Amino acid sequence: MAGKDYNHLFKLLIIGDSNVGKSSLLLRFADNSFSGSYITTIGVDFKIRTVDMEGERVKLQIWDTAGQERFRTITSTYYRNTHGVIIVYDVTNPDSFVNVKRWLNEISENCDSVCKILVGNKNDDPTKKKVDSQDAMRFGETVGVRVFETSAKENINVEEMFMAFTRMVLRAKKQSQDRAEREREREKDTVNINAHRDRDRRKRGKKCC
Amino acid sequence: MGDSPDTVSQTQRSADSAPTPAPSAAGADEEEPQLLKQAQNPQVGPPPLSPKPDAPTTPTRAGQSSPTVLLVHEPTIPLLNPNRKPALDNLSYLESASMMSGTFESLSGLGEDGSSVGSDSEINGLTIKRTDKYGFLGGNQYSEGGDKDVRVEVARQREMKWLDMFCHWDKWVKHRFMKVKLRCRKGIPSSLRAKAWQLLSNSQELLEANPGKFDELERAPGEAKWLDIIEKDLHRQFPFHEMFAARGGHGQQDLYRILKAYTVYRPDEGYCQAQAPVAAVLLMHMPAEQAFWCLVQICEKYLPGYYSAGLEAIQLDGEIFFSLLRRTCPMAYRHLKKFKIDPILYMTEWFMCIFSRTLPWSCVLRVWDMFFCEGVKIVFRVGLVLLRQMLGAVDKLRELQGMYETMERLRNISPDSIREDVLVQEVITLPVTEALIERECSIQVRKWRESRGELMHQPGRRLHGTRAIFEHKRRAASISSGGSLSFLGSSGFCTPSFQDKHKGSRKEMEVNGTKDLQKQSKTTKMGWLCMVLNIG
Repeated sequence: MAGKDYNHLFKLLIIGDSNVGKSSLLLRFADNSFSGSYITTIGVDFKIRTVDMEGERVKLQIWDTAGQERFRTITSTYYRNTHGVIIVYDVTNPDSFVNVKRWLNEISENCDSVCKILVGNKNDDPTKKKVDSQDAMRFGETVGVRVFETSAKENINVEEMFMAFTRMVLRAKKQSQDRAEREREREKDTVNINAHRDRDRRKRGKKCC
Repeated sequence: MGDSPDTVSQTQRSADSAPTPAPSAAGADEEEPQLLKQAQNPQVGPPPLSPKPDAPTTPTRAGQSSPTVLLVHEPTIPLLNPNRKPALDNLSYLESASMMSGTFESLSGLGEDGSSVGSDSEINGLTIKRTDKYGFLGGNQYSEGGDKDVRVEVARQREMKWLDMFCHWDKWVKHRFMKVKLRCRKGIPSSLRAKAWQLLSNSQELLEANPGKFDELERAPGEAKWLDIIEKDLHRQFPFHEMFAARGGHGQQDLYRILKAYTVYRPDEGYCQAQAPVAAVLLMHMPAEQAFWCLVQICEKYLPGYYSAGLEAIQLDGEIFFSLLRRTCPMAYRHLKKFKIDPILYMTEWFMCIFSRTLPWSCVLRVWDMFFCEGVKIVFRVGLVLLRQMLGAVDKLRELQGMYETMERLRNISPDSIREDVLVQEVITLPVTEALIERECSIQVRKWRESRGELMHQPGRRLHGTRAIFEHKRRAASISSGGSLSFLGSSGFCTPSFQDKHKGSRKEMEVNGTKDLQKQSKTTKMGWLCMVLNIG
């Protein structure tokens, strides 16, 4: 594309229970601001930010979704072409952490493979914290997802989380490009009688990364 | 386009159009000062002419002792700052308001009558000069005061006409509905808006047919899963409006009351987050009980299924909307199709919140005036007009070369780009009729069934505005022919008098009457009615 101002373009999706701070995280990262006066997200919202990563320009389109369960029926539209999903819970609300499993299930229903990260938001008041960091880490390990704790309000760890996640998504993209490259090399050397079918299958798959 | 030509024509017509004598001069004199006062500040309390000024209406103001009353005495220093021009970002105010939140953690722990603390009047007393005429302190929907007001004489004349209509409402709807529609399109006088909305939606009748019902719903414990989520949403509705800015303030409490009441009233429906802004708009105009019945009518007659689990209705309307766009603005249609922007991505909030978060406030009110009268058609038309405005010309599309640029434009409609009178005029003239919507609806239902299988939502339940609700009521009344079955005409809801007469069948009625009746065919309905009447 002529005149584009970036090397990579990624679509990220923020999901999680209602009122865990999804919109706040997005606003903090995209506009570096926080306001005590949000409105509930109905349907979907999104923001864009471009960052420098390993000498390249990465443009992030970050989609913010409604948290209420009944809106999930329309979220399949949002998952299309997503490179990474940020699952947010509220460290002061254990229920939102318990529900992370359901969100993970939803991701696997909508994407074959996609980068994921787990974010415990509102981590700014130890007296209110109810989800133990260690528990979250252990859970993250069992499901193979990295965990960050943030506070959009106090601007703690938000930038770091988004940057780390962007790096993950970028690496995943490069890895899959390398794999594709190697495969092409291999295909050059061998005669694949099913080449057509394989290619079709690849096209059809719901590949997110 | 807006008021002036209309005004002239209406003035001319008024002489020959009054079918009923105008209210007596004395009466008018008594009411006028109140009306004008209200017109200046439409948000304050119920209108003077609300049907029952002494009804157990709003709980709003102070004077009630409540432990939470103390919280309002928190210093709200930022308010004292003589900020001449209201800032777009009222963080200082809201932060000071949210300082109070700790003292009011759980609204479910309200006094048993659920009454408000009446607290923020003091706060608002300080801020009142800083609000716009609609009660907004800032934010996107703050009105800079540029919009011209209707002249006092015109406003007064319109009020008189509306008052006259109120006196003979059924006759007007039955015989002179075109006139009612025309007057709604011109904008309902702000002093009479609350009453007009209730009459247009027939919610007033529902309220009168169910005395004490709202209290009863409030007293019910409610389901925790709904109450939790409602509580979390209370401070996230119009946070820049004076009524809803303060945590635990009377606006948020009333919001809690009616949203909770709805989940008790319709436990199978529960709560949808998009109901909260709709309820909040109603509360800006009327007391909680009235707002509740109005909400019921919106959820059940105007937009049935919009807030139900599965959200099928809104998705179906998205498809209908997109198809209508192809007819009305092919350029916008092609653009959205090219960038694969599904209607659900941009119209969900527009439709579910009836544009209350999208348009400048003066437009919201005009749209709602027409919506209550003409139904969902108006919602479709406003959406189509907006798309045509934003994506209907080559030069506009040139700068929107991508999904995200386009989405951004649709998500953030500049208030400056919308003029109230132009919007209304375009909405009025757009050739999208009920019949067209219904035809498109059946096409989309068929497509849905072919591609996605069964559809739980029943589009046939939707009534296109005042006239359709009125006809529906009459049909139901003629079926019941003499039996006190007013519940059929209103919402499929039992009136207490009927319940008393038919105690034996009450339980059965509640089950059938509230959930299934609307779904049954006419013949089944008849059979069931006979059964109930026999028992009685």
